Amino acid sequence: MTDEMTKDPKQQITTDPSKPSERMRAGSMTITLGPWIIAGIALMLMPFIFTSNSALTIMNQMWITVIFALAYNMLLGQGGMLSFGHAVYMGLGGFFCMHIMNYVEDYGVAFPLPLLPLFGGLFGMGFAMLIGSFSTSGAGTRFAMISLGVGELIAACSVIIVAFFGGEEGISGDRTYGLPFFGVEFLKQIEVYYLISFWLMLSAALMYLFSRTPVGRMANAVRDNPERAQFLGYSARWVRFYSFCASGFFCGIAGGLFAISYEILTEENLNAASSGVILLVTFLGGVGFFFGPIIGAIAFTLLQTVLSLQTELWSIYAGALFLATVMFFPGGLAGLLMMHVPAFKLGKMSGLVVPYFKTLIPAAIGVLGICALIEMTFHFRHGATGDNEMTLFWTTFDSHSVLPWIIAIAVAAIGIGIAKMTAPEMKEAWDEANTAGGTS
Amino acid sequence: MSAPALELKGLKKSFGKAEIIRGIDLSIGKAERHAIIGPNGAGKSTLFNLITARFPPTAGTVKLHGEDLAGLEPYQINRKGLSRSFQITNIFPKMSVFENVRCALLWAQGYKYSFWNLVSRSRQLNEGADAILEQINLLERRDLAAGLLSYAEQRALEIGITIAGGADVIMLDEPTAGMSHSETDYITDLILKVTAGKTLIMVEHDMGVVFGLADRISVLVYGEIIATNTPELVRADPKVQEAYLGAALEAEH
Repeated sequence: MTDEMTKDPKQQITTDPSKPSERMRAGSMTITLGPWIIAGIALMLMPFIFTSNSALTIMNQMWITVIFALAYNMLLGQGGMLSFGHAVYMGLGGFFCMHIMNYVEDYGVAFPLPLLPLFGGLFGMGFAMLIGSFSTSGAGTRFAMISLGVGELIAACSVIIVAFFGGEEGISGDRTYGLPFFGVEFLKQIEVYYLISFWLMLSAALMYLFSRTPVGRMANAVRDNPERAQFLGYSARWVRFYSFCASGFFCGIAGGLFAISYEILTEENLNAASSGVILLVTFLGGVGFFFGPIIGAIAFTLLQTVLSLQTELWSIYAGALFLATVMFFPGGLAGLLMMHVPAFKLGKMSGLVVPYFKTLIPAAIGVLGICALIEMTFHFRHGATGDNEMTLFWTTFDSHSVLPWIIAIAVAAIGIGIAKMTAPEMKEAWDEANTAGGTS
Repeated sequence: MSAPALELKGLKKSFGKAEIIRGIDLSIGKAERHAIIGPNGAGKSTLFNLITARFPPTAGTVKLHGEDLAGLEPYQINRKGLSRSFQITNIFPKMSVFENVRCALLWAQGYKYSFWNLVSRSRQLNEGADAILEQINLLERRDLAAGLLSYAEQRALEIGITIAGGADVIMLDEPTAGMSHSETDYITDLILKVTAGKTLIMVEHDMGVVFGLADRISVLVYGEIIATNTPELVRADPKVQEAYLGAALEAEH
C-alpha cells in the first residue's frame, strides 16, 4: 500500500501541478458498469448451474444476506457506526411485510408481490427515523449501546406485543395470494429466486450510488473526523441520521424478501444473535470496500449451509475464521484481495504463485489436521457409548484407537511446520512483488 | 461604515475555577490579516475555539459581520462564512486527498444533504476541487489517502480544506507548527496566495511568519490582550517586550 509513497520521496512541495496524465485520472469515482453487468448475468445464470432446490434455497438466503450486509455496512464501513441491534430493522420490515401478505390473503386485495419489499423498506426506514432521531448524535459507545438496547427491547417486545410479532411461534403467511405478476404466482422457488435477484441488483446499485452522493461522501468524512466535518458546514449528526435511515430502508427490503422467501418470521429475526451474525458477516467480508459485505455474505452463507451439513461444529470454524480475520486481516476478505492490486499493477502477480502454493497448501493441510483433531475430540467425548466409529474426510475409523490420532497430529504438525518454514520465502516474494522496478 | 469582519466583546472563558480567557475585546476589519501571538498557555487556541463555537464562552459576545454567533453550532457558523484550521492536523485520513477537498466544497456549492446528486457528475465540484489542489500544490497526490501525506503536505491540505468552501473569514491555528524553514516559507507563501482579499486571523509562534504576513498583531498574555497594533508598533511596545516578545525576538536573531 505504501508503495506509492516510496516512488518519489519527499519532493512533494515542488511537484508539477499541471500534469495532464494526472488530470485525466479524475475518474477515481467514475462509475464503471462492467462489474454490475457481470454480477447481473451471473445472478441470471446461477440457477442453471446449481439446479437443485436446496441450492436455490441457499442462494436465496445468500442474496438476502448480501442486501442486509451491504445495508449494515452503510453504517459500519461508510459511516463509522457500530450497531449491535441491526437485525431489528430487517426483522421489523419482514414482520410488516408478513402482515401485508396476510391482509392480502384475508381480504383478497389486488397486490403484486414483487412490490412487497418496498413496503418492508419503508417500514424499516420509518423505524430507523424514530431511533436515529436520538441515537445518531454520536458514533461511539453511546450509539453502540443504544443500538444494543433498542435491539433487546424489540426482541423482548416480540413476546409481549403478540398481535404484531405473533409471540413465540412468530407469524407466517402465504406469498401466493398476491396479484399474479405477468402470470407469475411465485409458487415455485425459482420465481422467488429471480424476485430476490431483482431486488438484490436494485438495492446494491442504489446503495452504491448513495455512497457517491454528497451525503454519502460526507458519511465517510464524518466517519473519519466528525469534528472537521462540522467545520465544513455539515452537522455530523444529520449526516449520520441520513445514513441510518437509508440503512434502515435497505434492511427493511431484506426483511421483506425474507418474508417472501421463508413465509415465516419469528423472534429469531430480531434478536441479538442475528444482529451479531450480520456484524460478523460484514467484518469477515471487509468493511473498507463496497463489495466487501457481498463476499462476506457469500462466504458466511456457504459456511452456514454447506459446512453445517458436514459438521455440527461449523460455528467453531466460523468463529475461528472471524477471529483470524479480526487479528490478521482487519480489511477482511475484500482487503485481502485488494492487497494484491499494487502487485497486479506492477505485473508481478506471477512471482507470487509458487510461494503461495508452497506456504498456503501446507498451511491448509495443517489446518485440516487441526480440524480433524477437534472433530475427533468432539466425537470421543460426545459420541454415544459403543459408537466408536466416525467418518472424516471420506475415511471411516475408530476414534478410540491411537493410530488416527497420531496421523492427525502428524498431519497438523507437518503441515504447519512446512508452512512456517516457507513463510519467510513467501514474505520475500511478497515484498519483491510490491516493489517497483527490478527483475520482473 | 460596515461592521467589522469579526468583533469580540468582553469574551471570557473559565474551565472550573481556572480563567483562561479573561475578557477580550477585539475588532478585526474586512480583508485584514491579523495575527494573535503570545506565550504558551496564553489561551490562543482557546480563543479560536470560542470564536468557532468549539466551546461555549462563559461570557461575552462574538460577532461575525455584525451578527451575533451566540448559540450557533460550528457547522452553522461555518455556513456563515467563517472557516478554520486546527493546530493538530485535522483532515480525513482515510479519504483521498481529492476527496478531502471535494467534501470541503460540498456545502458551499449548495449540495446540502443531497442524496439525489452524484458527486462524480458535477463538473463544477470536481474542477473546483482540482483547482484548490493546484493552488496548494497537491495535484500530484490527489488519489493518495490523506493519512499517507507528509506532515507539511497534510498541513497544506488542512489549509486547502479550510479555504475550499470560499469562506471570507479564515482562521488558521499555528499553520507552520513543527515545520522546517523551507516548509515554513512554502506555507507562508501559500497562505498569502489563498487568503488574498479575505480576512485572515492566525495564531502563530514563528515571528518571521507573523511579521511577514500580518497587518496587525494582538499580543495575548494570560487570557488578556495587552496590545493590538501594527507589527512595527507592537515590536516597539515596551509592555510587549517585557511580557513576551523580547525573549522571542532574541531567539529569532
